[in-house]
Amino acid sequence: MPRWSFAAFFIIVAAAIAGPSLLQTDPFESVARPFAPPVWTGGEEGPALAVSLSPSKTLFEKKWNWSPPENISIRGTLSFEEDPSASLVWTGPGGERFVLAVSGDTREWLIDIDARDVSFKASLGVPPFGNATSVLFRNHENIRVEIEGTTPSAGKIEIRTPGGKWGLMGTDQRGRDVLSLFTEGIRISLIVGLAATLISSALGLLVGLSSGYLGGKIDSFIMRGVDVLLSIPVLPILMVIVGIWGKGLWQLILILGLFSWMGTARTVRSLALTLRESCYVENLRSIGASPWYILWRHLVPEALPVLLAAVTLGVPGAILAEAGLSFLGLSDPRIISWGRMLHEAHGFGAFTAGAWWLILPPGIGISVICLVFLDMGRALEEIADPRLVKGNRK
Amino acid sequence: MRSPLLVAQKITVSFGSARSQVQALAGTDLEIFPGESLAIVGESGSGKTTLLRACLGLTAISGGYASLFGKDLSLCSRGELVFLRRRSGYVPQDPFGCVPPTLSALDAVSEPMLIADSPGKKRASERAGELLVECGLADREIWKERVRFSLSGGQRQRVSIARALALDPELLLADEPASMQDAATRKGIMEILRKRCEKGMGLVMATHDLLLASASASRVMVLYRGHVVETGPSKDLLSTPAHPYTRALGAALPGMGHSPQILVRRTDSLSGKTGCVFSARCPRRTEKCSTPPFLIQIGAGRTVACWNPGG
Amino acid sequence: MICIRDLSVTYDTNARKVRAVREASIDIHHSAVTAIVGESGGGKSSLIYSILGLLPPEATATGKILFEGSDILSAPEATRRDFRGIKVALVTQGAMNSLTPVISVGEQIAETLRTRLGTRRREAAVKASELLEMVGLGPSFAVRFPHELSGGEKQRVVIALAISCSPVFLLADEPTSALDVITQAEIITLLGGMVRETGMGLLLVTHDLPLASSVSDSISVMHQGKIVESGPAEKIMTSPLHPHTRDLVFAANLATGRGFQ
Repeated sequence: MPRWSFAAFFIIVAAAIAGPSLLQTDPFESVARPFAPPVWTGGEEGPALAVSLSPSKTLFEKKWNWSPPENISIRGTLSFEEDPSASLVWTGPGGERFVLAVSGDTREWLIDIDARDVSFKASLGVPPFGNATSVLFRNHENIRVEIEGTTPSAGKIEIRTPGGKWGLMGTDQRGRDVLSLFTEGIRISLIVGLAATLISSALGLLVGLSSGYLGGKIDSFIMRGVDVLLSIPVLPILMVIVGIWGKGLWQLILILGLFSWMGTARTVRSLALTLRESCYVENLRSIGASPWYILWRHLVPEALPVLLAAVTLGVPGAILAEAGLSFLGLSDPRIISWGRMLHEAHGFGAFTAGAWWLILPPGIGISVICLVFLDMGRALEEIADPRLVKGNRK
Repeated sequence: MRSPLLVAQKITVSFGSARSQVQALAGTDLEIFPGESLAIVGESGSGKTTLLRACLGLTAISGGYASLFGKDLSLCSRGELVFLRRRSGYVPQDPFGCVPPTLSALDAVSEPMLIADSPGKKRASERAGELLVECGLADREIWKERVRFSLSGGQRQRVSIARALALDPELLLADEPASMQDAATRKGIMEILRKRCEKGMGLVMATHDLLLASASASRVMVLYRGHVVETGPSKDLLSTPAHPYTRALGAALPGMGHSPQILVRRTDSLSGKTGCVFSARCPRRTEKCSTPPFLIQIGAGRTVACWNPGG
Repeated sequence: MICIRDLSVTYDTNARKVRAVREASIDIHHSAVTAIVGESGGGKSSLIYSILGLLPPEATATGKILFEGSDILSAPEATRRDFRGIKVALVTQGAMNSLTPVISVGEQIAETLRTRLGTRRREAAVKASELLEMVGLGPSFAVRFPHELSGGEKQRVVIALAISCSPVFLLADEPTSALDVITQAEIITLLGGMVRETGMGLLLVTHDLPLASSVSDSISVMHQGKIVESGPAEKIMTSPLHPHTRDLVFAANLATGRGFQ
């Protein structure tokens, strides 16, 4: 039965497992300027540069069609086999040559240049509060940087500019690649959604079956307990618990699991009540089967189809709950989840900066993953009970 | 002197709250010895299912006394009841609900053996296979099929009979054991049960089919709305029925080529609140029938509860 | 008369195709009871539903069903709606449990008359009482609700509903299987009586051969979707030809005690 949601689920899981390793950037690392829009949007700002010069590549040239970047950093180490006499030369607009660095006495040449350094600015003739990069770059002119003199034998220097644009999804307020954050977030959403739902389903199954099957006073007692739990306002309690317990990921999963098992318990309990009166349960009891045998060998298998649908439908709930909690700031800041991304977008001014690329992807991602699970839950319900399929009549 | 497998005296079963009581069974007597077969005949609502269940202690008795294998059911502890029930088999009326739906046919029959720990695991499987063959399901392909999904109604019923026979019961109580079978196979089921009776098993069977009852059991008891109206050897009840209701049952059966006869009055209400329960529909009612009749002996092993019996 | 020629009904489910009816041919006459006897299964019911055009969408029917000169199997739904219920009526086994629980039985019959025949309110009420009388339910029954009636009484109401528009043919699919033996006899006698008095044609479909033989003029035996033998009831019962018919007659003989012990 080809259904789009199963294919989508497979893709999501594949992305969660393989995605982060396929990405080239570490999600926590700042790669470009804050709130850099994605590269495919148009505009004046130039892309980020990330080039390296090495013994095999001592020259870099590029036509620069945009406005000067905010910063440029050149870092690295070159080693030489003999006493070097080399310099790093930048040929700027209009053919002016700037010698950025000169090798020293040792065979290891350490280069550490940042355009924000006052001394660097002074060496270019720029006042302390001026902009060094506007001297080095100019619209529509080539830039060229070269290692002249002795050729190094080993090592590498990296030339980086933050760039006005970055990647497929831009950057956040700290210059981190949003695509990496997003991919990392898939994993967290899935883990939280599935783990929390599994915990709540297991609890719901246990409580529901016991309550429904044992009946009588035990049943009443447990159900009143469920009623009390259902009437607790979840969010304030969660905030208190998070305040006491801390903001870790597993705390979050446990809390979500502990607060959502009640609905499943109710459903399973009514199933158990019906099954308890059925002919074969009476028969099993009368020939002496123990309650545990009946529960384990008969009631649990009968409850599983119901539970399966409940699990797949509960995952969106858990994901949304986690997103909500993260949005309120109640989650671990070291863990990247989509809700957390939205929280930081909200809290750090993405809205005012107009950085839609920070807000839309996590929002759409949450919606899509919820829809996928909802559709899968529907498909599983139909598999369990063919009468639900449209067009099937007795 | 053999001891009876089952004795029931004046069993009364009532349901309902204090305000509205429904009397499902009113003062019924029953006795089964090893090798005997009794058929309880009655339409739906007559109390035959209730009687079977009361004899097993599955339905609470409001009055009277029932004993299984010599033990008074009302004095038994839970554990003793379990033992008594393991010595007896029960085939419930509804073959859809009475076999656990998640099991295969073979597992369903071997389950009682595994619970009672009677033969060991391996032997239980073999025995289950033997029982399924005995009940007419020799096709091994069916054994692995899940009962709920893949078997027809008739096959399910055979599985539930095999399950009831799993612990080799000394007494079998069967509620409409052939209801799902086609005419051709109905006789086959009754043959299975009859063979067991010949080996000493006692059989109590509830059915609405007077013909089937007389073909399968040596004695018949006719129930009408909770009361016993006639008992006796099955051939006699079919050929010379005494009670007007029994007569009506026999006459209403579509015979070969003749129309069924209707020997009851049509009435708007079925109330026989005072007097004989059947009086509202009885074609032979007299003034005396406003007093409830009781069972009187009218021949060898025959009793009837009627002031005006025929035949 | 209704002539069915080479009717085949195939169900196309996800897993496989099931041929429920295979090239069945049968005639249903006026003023006579025609019986189709067969084991429990979909074939007999599928045949009835093909006549009325009530097969589910996954079923395909081929062949001809001639009624009043035209083939109603291939007729458009509008034509079928015209004669369904009015010229050809249906009574099924479960119908008695499908009566509307919140409307009195008399009113249910009257409503049918008003909507299908356009009868005026007062006339419809009178006709409803007459119909109930015809099926053996006295005047006190018109105001009763279905849950207050016994199984046999409900089935009588269903029959009254079915004949309310004076159909030419009545199709009955296991009309008495859920009833006890005495009520079964009453209903079958009622149906047989109606055929004789009004000239209506009755198609009785059942698995119970003795029942069919007690009231039918002709019997057709259906086995695995095929009609294996047809003929006058008397002949089928005394000298059956097809092996399956022989089995059925033998079993029926055993059951009714003829040729037994």
